[in-house]
Amino acid sequence: MKHSAEVQYKMELSPHVHSGITKDALMLKTFALMCVPAVAAVFAMGTGALVHIALAVGTSLVCHFLVYFAELHATGSTSYPTPASPLVAGMIVGLSMPIAAPYYATAAVAALTMLLFKWLQGRVFGRKYINPAAASKVLLLVTFTLLAGLSEGLLFHPHHLRLDMWTAAGFDRAISFYDGRVGLPAIESLILWKDHGWIGGASGLAVLAVGIGAVLWLKLKWRIVMSLMVVMGTLSVLMALITGGSLAGRLAFHLFTGSVIFMGFFMATEPQSTPLTEGGQYVFGAALGLGTFFLQQLNVLGGSILVLVALNLLTPQLDRIGMHRSYGHGGDR
Amino acid sequence: MARRDRYHFKEAGGFVVDATIKRGGEDAAFEIVPDPEVCVIFLKQHVGAPVQPLVGAGDTVVEGQKIGDSDEAMSVPVHAPVGGKVLRIVDAYHPVAGVPAPAVFIERSEDAALPVRLPAFEPGALDDTDRSELLAGVREAGIVGLGGAAFPAHVKLGMRDKVTRLVINAKESDPNVACDVRLKREKPADIVAGIQAMARLLGPNEIVFATRAEPGAFPELEARLARAGVTVAHIRPSYSVGSDKLLVKELFGLEVPCGSYPPDVGVVVHNVFTAYAVARALFAGEPLVSRGLTLISRQTGPLNLWVKVGTPLRHVLMHAGLDPTVYDRLAIASMLMGQSVPNPDVPTLKATAGICAFGPDEPSPYAKQLPCIRCGYCNLVCPVGIYPVLIMEAEKRGDVRRMKKLHAEDCIDCGLCSYVCPSAIKLTGHLRRAIRAVRQ
Ligand code: SF4
Ligand code: SF4
Repeated sequence: MKHSAEVQYKMELSPHVHSGITKDALMLKTFALMCVPAVAAVFAMGTGALVHIALAVGTSLVCHFLVYFAELHATGSTSYPTPASPLVAGMIVGLSMPIAAPYYATAAVAALTMLLFKWLQGRVFGRKYINPAAASKVLLLVTFTLLAGLSEGLLFHPHHLRLDMWTAAGFDRAISFYDGRVGLPAIESLILWKDHGWIGGASGLAVLAVGIGAVLWLKLKWRIVMSLMVVMGTLSVLMALITGGSLAGRLAFHLFTGSVIFMGFFMATEPQSTPLTEGGQYVFGAALGLGTFFLQQLNVLGGSILVLVALNLLTPQLDRIGMHRSYGHGGDR
Repeated sequence: MARRDRYHFKEAGGFVVDATIKRGGEDAAFEIVPDPEVCVIFLKQHVGAPVQPLVGAGDTVVEGQKIGDSDEAMSVPVHAPVGGKVLRIVDAYHPVAGVPAPAVFIERSEDAALPVRLPAFEPGALDDTDRSELLAGVREAGIVGLGGAAFPAHVKLGMRDKVTRLVINAKESDPNVACDVRLKREKPADIVAGIQAMARLLGPNEIVFATRAEPGAFPELEARLARAGVTVAHIRPSYSVGSDKLLVKELFGLEVPCGSYPPDVGVVVHNVFTAYAVARALFAGEPLVSRGLTLISRQTGPLNLWVKVGTPLRHVLMHAGLDPTVYDRLAIASMLMGQSVPNPDVPTLKATAGICAFGPDEPSPYAKQLPCIRCGYCNLVCPVGIYPVLIMEAEKRGDVRRMKKLHAEDCIDCGLCSYVCPSAIKLTGHLRRAIRAVRQ
């Protein structure tokens, strides 16, 4: 046996054990959950949805491996040791694209997400202040709009601009678009099954179920989703009361389109770019709801990501408000 | 899925601390570890003023002899755990302070004189015994809080004027420590005698024995507690509720204000081992020179050992059949809060309740820390409700005002934030630096 002087143990700060919860496991669970709306989308929207999702995930993985090997070659270490996080990023891009988008746009958003807003943002700022997928879409949207004008470049749905959401008749015309398209009346279609809009929102109900599962399983920042939904729901009711239109229609339209429900559960809760304090999360969700509703009223359907990116930039400020009181200060734990 | 049994402790935010590593520990009877050749007794093993040596190199000492003391109120003496000769008094690595500190090295002698004992009291005549004599007896025995805090026991037991409740924390909450549970099985009479002595000192209106065990798990102890008029509170299995402040909230719904201690809200909390040590001191005249602890390694599983204070860890490991040279990391006390030691010559302290030996096939789970993903898990799990990740961010920026605003100083160093962090970030390091910065 060695002498004492020869035995040197590694010195470590406590704790000496870990729960085994890993980032990769969280990513893979998120990916698994998102497969549910993805499968629903393929059934509802057809193989086009599958192509979008596969393109987005594939592009993300290609970008990941390019970065991985480049970093390994240059520095000997990598920012993303496993493809779990890129897998999720790719899936989010795929599910947040409108089914009407050209395939090249999906691939471009995925590449921008990975290279510019995920990798480079992390390298430069040490953290992701804005949601990579949302920022990439915004970048593309702004570029298209600048190049082609508002009526052509707006999220691949220029016809939305012709809608009048401020009157009952205009709103009815807007949702009549969904009437019978998948063999269901508009309201049921919006909630259950649609072949239009964001791929991830093909089945609003599936996203809702999986989203609630994610809140419970992955401890997503539920306050954001809840306040988003409460604000959107309240404004829908108010708008229905003011304009005299269909209350159920308003609720179905404003809550169950993919740009709200998928964005709410899977993009607005992205951990890095959202607040950590409870009050900050409520404010974030409420402001997101307000902005999204307002943009929907202006026919910028899918414009929720514009609001999301703007709010992401306010996260450091929102982290300073709405802290719960801690033990010994009259806290409630 | 979170399992709920006595080895899976439910924490805030729905997180679970896995304590299966100590499964079976309650059934492992205490083994007495033979006295080592050389004991190393630190002159400071408690919260408060250090003691001065009362012996010098070359002196002969007997077991139980006082070898260090201080005139300060917030201090307790230390005693020779073995009879023999003082080899030297020099600085050695102190496992809690993390820096060298003065220690008395005593070489055991086979022909040492019989151990010395303190004056003992009659358990049946407690009511007729002068309280100041009892309190002095607790101090003279060198008793400190044995749950890990090492706060001088006589100081807390002298707070009669402000205390209305005495709580005995049966602990059971450290994921790697089973000795408290074992003590309840093996020494119920002493535990209850100790509680009665504490009650005599404090005169509380209420005495509560807080345990995570199911009713009926310790029939003899429960019967004795009932006869002594002690209320048994069966609380949920939880790691964080092992902390005195959180236990007070769990039991009585009382919050100890920031910067205060449980006696400030009328509650004194003592560990079950402290109650036992008080009984041994007052009724058997034994100073605190030995205690039970749990050794855990992959090879042995949980072992409950009765060890002299100042025993080098090498000796404890070898008694358990382990080769100290094959381990990579050695930690004392709790796996979540305890300290690493640099080598096996570091001795046990009065408050050492556990030893964990990790082999080369058990690397630190924090070896590869990833960037923070701001998931907020650390905030959710924090039992005192502060925001560890925001404190970490402020600490990295050196923003002391923000650290103060975030109540960094309220951190109880439980380690749960690091434990649940998916990026395996050791937030505890940032929090300790933040506390230092705030206090400066
Ligand atoms: S648990 Fe870890 S990754 Fe999550 S917010 Fe806290 S420090 Fe960051
Ligand atoms: S170590 Fe401190 S900050 Fe972390 S969970 Fe425990 S009390 Fe909270």
